Amino acid sequence: MKAKRITKKIIKRAILFVVSMFILSIVVFLLARIAPGDPLVAFYGDGIETMSEAELAAARTRLGLDDNLFIQYFKWLGNAFQGDFGLSLKYKQSVGKVVMPLLGNTLILGVIAYAVVFVIAILLGTVAALHEDDLLDKIICKVGTASYYIPTFWLGVVLVLIFSVNLGWFPSSGAYDVGKQADIGNRLHHMVLPLIVMIASHFWYYAYMFRNKLLDEFRKDYVLLAKAKGLSRRKIVWKHCLRNIAPTIVSIMAISIPHVISGTVMVEAVFGYPGIGNLAVESAKYHDYNLLMVTVLLTGAFVFIASFAAQTINEEIDPRMKVAKEIKW
Amino acid sequence: MTNTSADEELLEFQNISVSFDTPQGEVQAVRDVSLSLKKGEILCVVGESGCGKTVLCKSAMKLLPKNASIKSGRVIVCGEDITDFKEKKMRKLRGSVFSMVFQDPMTTLNPTIPIGKQITEAIKKHEKISSDEARARAVEMLDMVGISDAQKRFGLQPHFFSGGMRQRCVLAVALATNPKILFADEATTALDVTVEEKILKLLLDIRARTGVGIVFISHDLGAVARIADRVAVMYAGKVVEIGTAEDIYYDPRHPYTWGLLSSLPALAAKDKKLKSIPGMPPSLLDPPPGDAFAVRNEYALAIDYEEMPPMFDISETHKAATWLLDKRAPKVVRPELYGRRSNDG
Repeated sequence: MKAKRITKKIIKRAILFVVSMFILSIVVFLLARIAPGDPLVAFYGDGIETMSEAELAAARTRLGLDDNLFIQYFKWLGNAFQGDFGLSLKYKQSVGKVVMPLLGNTLILGVIAYAVVFVIAILLGTVAALHEDDLLDKIICKVGTASYYIPTFWLGVVLVLIFSVNLGWFPSSGAYDVGKQADIGNRLHHMVLPLIVMIASHFWYYAYMFRNKLLDEFRKDYVLLAKAKGLSRRKIVWKHCLRNIAPTIVSIMAISIPHVISGTVMVEAVFGYPGIGNLAVESAKYHDYNLLMVTVLLTGAFVFIASFAAQTINEEIDPRMKVAKEIKW
Repeated sequence: MTNTSADEELLEFQNISVSFDTPQGEVQAVRDVSLSLKKGEILCVVGESGCGKTVLCKSAMKLLPKNASIKSGRVIVCGEDITDFKEKKMRKLRGSVFSMVFQDPMTTLNPTIPIGKQITEAIKKHEKISSDEARARAVEMLDMVGISDAQKRFGLQPHFFSGGMRQRCVLAVALATNPKILFADEATTALDVTVEEKILKLLLDIRARTGVGIVFISHDLGAVARIADRVAVMYAGKVVEIGTAEDIYYDPRHPYTWGLLSSLPALAAKDKKLKSIPGMPPSLLDPPPGDAFAVRNEYALAIDYEEMPPMFDISETHKAATWLLDKRAPKVVRPELYGRRSNDG
């Protein structure tokens, strides 16, 4: 009964996912092509200045850029279904080959940053809420707010200056040393500074949200009853309040995925970290249509999957969302 | 207070004053209140909203918000002065010595935790017993407060219960650790009248079985009449009249009590307009120097505006704070309070 219901829900969400991706692809495809600029500039570089009109037209035909937009889109869609996402105009390789190695880099950085940000946010939010208006809470709030408003690029540059240039502890750029692609230690070593920047610029936003959510929860009547039966503030916050805001935390974590992903874009740029964030920016800049489609669709897929997963998890956590007839007597 | 043997006194407020520090100034929510509760007694505290009933009870359990403090007076629980107890000591008392139920049963239970667990949590906090024993006790409690099929309902979340059942569950939580004193803060106000009646009966039943002393806060004089042994009438942070239920309902002396009783729809004359007390209670930010009720009191004397009336003894059990009881006061005939009497006259 339960398994069947969940399967049904997952199928429903899967259909919704496909439809969302389809709509996203149309929007991105059209927007990219409507935006002013010439993709041939990316393809030929400076060489374009010496090419004749006829040569340019021929190149356009060869790259399939002179068709009607809708025909172009359906051609792209047909190829995409066969696993062929086209040629990157700038790198002159198939898009998959360009994206794949960088995707891994970004995923490692993003997932670790994401996990650490939320562990810190939940702990710090809870500690601050436990000590509401005490000195500890005030210190946490002041430091947190300050850290949130330090600009990412500035913090990145300062960290590089201190830890790479002066102290020489950490490398200033890259994801790994040449030839050490599979060396986890080497990767982590490269990741320390980017991670610090990402965590510093993200954790407080969520920690403060959780702190306030907890405090709202703590003002509810059931807390009074829990106090009246002798429970301590600490126990009430950990066992009652935190549990009750768990659905909120899960939702916020899901919604925050784009936020953290956009954070990697910034950090990748500052630290020259090869990832798809950087790639997405470049592909938009050079009108590398096929590459842009893939980077945007990948990011979009993350966001959709995360929010659908959050919804499903939430319904399982919060018993109020369950249907009464499922309770067995 | 009238003193019987001291060991019988479960709870005693001695000249308690409670104030809130607010940005506007000091709000004197409770002013110089003395009350006591005996074993197995039901003391009802009545008065309009904001007169300090709830603050008084919460000050005994120290559940007041951070900006509130006991300015003077003592709270004595089972012969022990707890006025200066810190949070850690208070936690041991809460649940085991006194407990509290609140107004709105829809919000006082944690919505995501099964009822049974909310009861066992209280038991385990105060007694070292196994989970199975705690569970058995919790089922017993649910049974006692009148939840049928307690075994099966043990694992259900509050949203499966109706308002009346939830209030029963709240009672089960509050009574699970056998407290000696139960504060019922408007415990029946949010309930339908038929459910209210059942909960009142349940309270009487529990009192008879366990000997718990109950402080029942209400502004519903009908409910109070059903269960009270003694009644304290509060106005603007002070107790203005206190006596047995009979004293208060049949021989009230304070003009405020007169006003309260004559504004009861159930007891009013059918053919007359329902009486009400004109005006509003005073701000407790800056309470008037004399009797706080004077401005709304048609029987007010000149001295009422200048000097606070002391408590006058009327009988051993009955006291009231009004200058009308002074020897020098003019004789005032109490107005007809209840409809039936005015029909006769």
